[in-house]
Amino acid sequence: MYRIWIISLAVLFFSATAAAEETKVDFNRDIRPILSDKCFHCHGPDANHREAELRLDDESSAKLDRDGYRVIDSETPAASELLARITSTDGDIRMPPADSGKSLTRDEIQLLERWIQEGAAWSRHWAYVTPVRAEPPAVKDRNWPRHWIDNFILARLESEGLAPADPADEVTLVRRLHFDLTGLPPTPETVKQFINSTDPRKYEQLVDELLDDDAFGERLAIYWLDLVRFADTVGYHGDQDQNISPYRDYVLDAFNDNLPFDQFTIEQLAGDLLPDPTVDQRIATGYNRLLQTSHEGGVQPKEYLAIYAADRIRNLSAVWMGATMGCCQCHDHKDDPYSTKDFYSLSAFFADIDEAKHFKVGSNSLPTARPPEIQVHSKRERQRLAELEQRIASLTNKIAAAPSDDLAAELAAIKSEHAALEKRKRKTMVTVAITPRTVRVLPRGNWLDDSGEVVTPAIPAFLGKLPSDSPNRLDLARWLTDAEQGVGLLTARVMANRFWYLCFGAGISRDLGDFGGQGEPPSHPELLDRLAHEFVESGWDTKHMMKTMVMSRTYRLSSQATPTLAERDPENRLFARQSRFRLVAEMIRDNALAVSGLLVRDYGGPSVKPYQPAGYYRHLNFPTRVYHHDTDSRQWRRGVYVHWQRQFLHPMLRAFDAPSREECTAQRTTSNTPLAALTLLNDPTFVEAAQALSQRILAGGGETEDARIDFAFQLCVSRSPDDVETKLIKELIASQPDEAAAWQMVARAMLNLQETNYRY
Amino acid sequence: MLNPHLLCRRTFLANSGLSLGAAAFGSLLARDGRADTTLVGAAGVRGLPHFAAKAKRVIFLCMAGGPSHLETFDYKPMLDEMNGQPMPNSFTAGQPIAQLQGQALKVQGHLTKFQQYGENGQTISDFLPYHAKMADDICIVRSLVTEQINHDPAHTFMNTGTAISGRPSMGAWINYGLGCEAEDLPGFVVLTSVGGRNPQPIASRQWSAGFLPSRFQGVEFQAAGDPVHYVGNPEGVSHAQQRQLVDTIQQLDRHRSGAIEDHETNARLAAYEMAFRMQTSVPELMDMSDETQETMDMYGARPGDGSFASNCLLARRLAERGVRFIHLYHRGWDHHGGLVKYMNTCCSLTDKPTWALIQDLKQRGLLDDTLVVWGGEFGRTPMFQGKGGAGRDHHIKGFSMWLAGGGVKGGISYGATDELGYHAVENVVHVRDLHATMLHLLGIQYDRFNVKFQGLDMRLTGVEHARVVKDILA
Repeated sequence: MYRIWIISLAVLFFSATAAAEETKVDFNRDIRPILSDKCFHCHGPDANHREAELRLDDESSAKLDRDGYRVIDSETPAASELLARITSTDGDIRMPPADSGKSLTRDEIQLLERWIQEGAAWSRHWAYVTPVRAEPPAVKDRNWPRHWIDNFILARLESEGLAPADPADEVTLVRRLHFDLTGLPPTPETVKQFINSTDPRKYEQLVDELLDDDAFGERLAIYWLDLVRFADTVGYHGDQDQNISPYRDYVLDAFNDNLPFDQFTIEQLAGDLLPDPTVDQRIATGYNRLLQTSHEGGVQPKEYLAIYAADRIRNLSAVWMGATMGCCQCHDHKDDPYSTKDFYSLSAFFADIDEAKHFKVGSNSLPTARPPEIQVHSKRERQRLAELEQRIASLTNKIAAAPSDDLAAELAAIKSEHAALEKRKRKTMVTVAITPRTVRVLPRGNWLDDSGEVVTPAIPAFLGKLPSDSPNRLDLARWLTDAEQGVGLLTARVMANRFWYLCFGAGISRDLGDFGGQGEPPSHPELLDRLAHEFVESGWDTKHMMKTMVMSRTYRLSSQATPTLAERDPENRLFARQSRFRLVAEMIRDNALAVSGLLVRDYGGPSVKPYQPAGYYRHLNFPTRVYHHDTDSRQWRRGVYVHWQRQFLHPMLRAFDAPSREECTAQRTTSNTPLAALTLLNDPTFVEAAQALSQRILAGGGETEDARIDFAFQLCVSRSPDDVETKLIKELIASQPDEAAAWQMVARAMLNLQETNYRY
Repeated sequence: MLNPHLLCRRTFLANSGLSLGAAAFGSLLARDGRADTTLVGAAGVRGLPHFAAKAKRVIFLCMAGGPSHLETFDYKPMLDEMNGQPMPNSFTAGQPIAQLQGQALKVQGHLTKFQQYGENGQTISDFLPYHAKMADDICIVRSLVTEQINHDPAHTFMNTGTAISGRPSMGAWINYGLGCEAEDLPGFVVLTSVGGRNPQPIASRQWSAGFLPSRFQGVEFQAAGDPVHYVGNPEGVSHAQQRQLVDTIQQLDRHRSGAIEDHETNARLAAYEMAFRMQTSVPELMDMSDETQETMDMYGARPGDGSFASNCLLARRLAERGVRFIHLYHRGWDHHGGLVKYMNTCCSLTDKPTWALIQDLKQRGLLDDTLVVWGGEFGRTPMFQGKGGAGRDHHIKGFSMWLAGGGVKGGISYGATDELGYHAVENVVHVRDLHATMLHLLGIQYDRFNVKFQGLDMRLTGVEHARVVKDILA
């Protein structure tokens, strides 16, 4: 299916204008995807399945003199065996062979022909080439760009003969910024203030305010927790609770305090190996413990340690390298230059992680024990404790100097808060290094087979070698983020693409989890490279990256396609307009709670339990489970704090495509299902929110029906209704038996609207 | 109100003048992770089925926990002869072992008797008197092998073809490929029941859509409370009020979206319509009051009791309504000890309803195009385990399942294990062969049924070679 994308991209290039017609075929953009999909399976990196000693991923192999002929002959293109094979009508000769289930389209054959005629230039796969810091291209409309991002976007549009969409209106912009940066809707007051302001800096001020809001960390955490597969339960078999919520607080704080991303990486992978690690750095190493585990009776520890090792490499490679190394557990990668040995050598970095204790002490209690664990306060809790201690000290001194009943009472109150907070320490799993386990290459991934070679920690061979003779996790983490000596710029590119996705609804390379040969080349490679440099140059400053993107003119475009754009670029590959998309599951919840006034904005802490259908956990055992929803204000906290039961994720989150977090999710799917509709219509959380919203409308919406309808629209979609909308709502009201029922229905309707639940 | 025919994709396409290309575009968007704009209840992948299908739907009866093949379908005289003796090392050396790790391994003879039934003399144990009565309807496969020896990953393997999480379950694959015939029910329904020894947990991963769009995921129906989550109106809201609400939402959405060819808004409108219809169709499905007493008795079903018997009857009702994949789980077959006692429990709960289901499908003409599959996630060891009386440990190198209806030859046996029932040795059927055969019966060539994910052509049968077990096809 991705192939069709590629072709459509190529079509856009080659058929759009006369100028584009002359564009040279680009190996990475046009040819590699074809070879990777159709040929590499037998003529690629995997040495065990290679046919005819031919590697089409390797220029020298493809152009080798094979006793008088060459597969690709760049001097006499027409003599290339490849061309003869792909165009032959003889089934025995034609490539790809029929039994591969693959075939080349006419467009693909033409592209291959043109490429060979043009000299069959090879280039290294784009994702492994260090990003080049490109200067922004010149554009004809020099007034349009606000930022260099806009130069890259506009230059492409101009070369395609396309014009960008109109700017978005201010209401849309305010809502967009709020959702993208905080995951929450704006209040009607905020919208009004923005629209009425004449300050030319009002947009940037709003951006700064939102970046500074605690909700920013909550928004980014939703995304990061998907990547690293954070959950409250172990995942396999009994799916018992595990101690890990302080790790989530660490992630929230990291984004809110704008911890540089390289440091963020190092602390998670190897915080325990830093000199005198801080509590936060130790909490961060919970990352290495987030994988799924099992202590099912009958589990063979050796098998499961192999499963865990593979799980870690799948996640590490997906999160930081944008690579799908999972295949290499059993065989060399079919499309990318990762070998089985690379896979096991990489896993050897993690062989020192103490992870076997739970096989013995993992209990069928809630939470289960997965030592090593430590008792901690979160960063904010520690800050508060320190503050309180200071006040206790100063008050004690004051009282000693001049005793006073008032001061004594104040001291008592502070001491009591201190004592209560002191008790709120939580356990959290951390990484502790022990003597590394011996790691062998497992032939075909078979853990019973001890015949494979013993490997030591090493980075994938084609990416070089670490300077240390016996590198550890810390060296690995530094290599991932070192832009000079390591692959820092590659990592930066993977992440920059994801920040872009969060701001624009699609990556510059559309596949956020696979930068390999089967992923999709970026539509704007120079822009993506430049963003990678920006990330590194800014000191891995996440807030700076988000701000850079949202300040661009491109970000502020309307998501409405002009007829020309809809026809020429239906998939918005060129970012000539913004995207419209449904909010992610947690934000759907947060939005309903926010507009109804129920949302509780507490920060951090243990996971919370909203209403959930009775009996939903009935298939869980060891122990059997009864879900008790929270009965206090935790009921209305943000989705990012909801208890994440891997085997039975809360039905509301599930209905809106939140992943189980068993594996890395770089991009959630977005579905439109009846189950999602039923959830928004009937889930008690949303019914309660509708009730609260209706009361809010009645209390604050004025006396007339029109005023109240207007108020409801302002709360939910930040605008006034038009006549048709007012009429439809009035009809709904008229059909209801009484006023209370009527406004509850209106509130339910408002919470169910597409516009309420979408970001435009 | 929306035209109800909107739910049928062909009609929708015809009405809207959309080309197939546009529809394909919708699913492309879905793959790209943004919006799944294809309509609810949609048809499947273009080009499918690859050839004429024998079966239109599947009812998969999963005996969760792993029933002993040695007390159901696989009779080995040598096992009785060697009862109590050490298990020969030649069988077990280098083999994965679950709970018996590090223990002395002894042969455990059959804990029941076997007899032959039906025209071809199918061997069936005394635990299964009703299976005996339908010996001519079922094809017993005695040579299954799987790759996972613990429950959770073994279910995942049986359902998705791999133990790695995040892959689609077979029910999701089949609905994705063939689409859904039911207009007001999901295409993949899961029903569960419990009874037996130490019911093992079963994760919703087992009916996940994995990387396929969420609408293909299995929907679990409950016996108690709302049969489907949130299918009931909020308290105090009538059917008419709910209709009014859904109409208003749809009108407001359509008004606001304005654009005629807004696929995503259309998909959302259709989802609301189907949601509303499910609010009626699901309770109707669950309400068995239109069944005759004779039928109820045949199954031993009691409405709302959540039993396997009731679930079998619901399976027939779902099959009648065009649901593509109906997956029943009965949890209780993990017989590490007390095997006789718990076999009695499990069989008394499942034997007769299974027979009733086959008979009922047959008498309604549904068995011809409904494939029924029965089996656990693995079998049990020829070796003794004694957690509270004689029992058996998990076993993956040879076990039994059966298939019936939907293009499968009834009254035959296929494959065999060795003389102690340890290794499948004759006509070995790997789980992926079962998948390939199932797909074949549904008109799908397994190696041409791919979805690209993480750069790979993903298949239900995985990357290894699979085979369609042609010998059991009618």
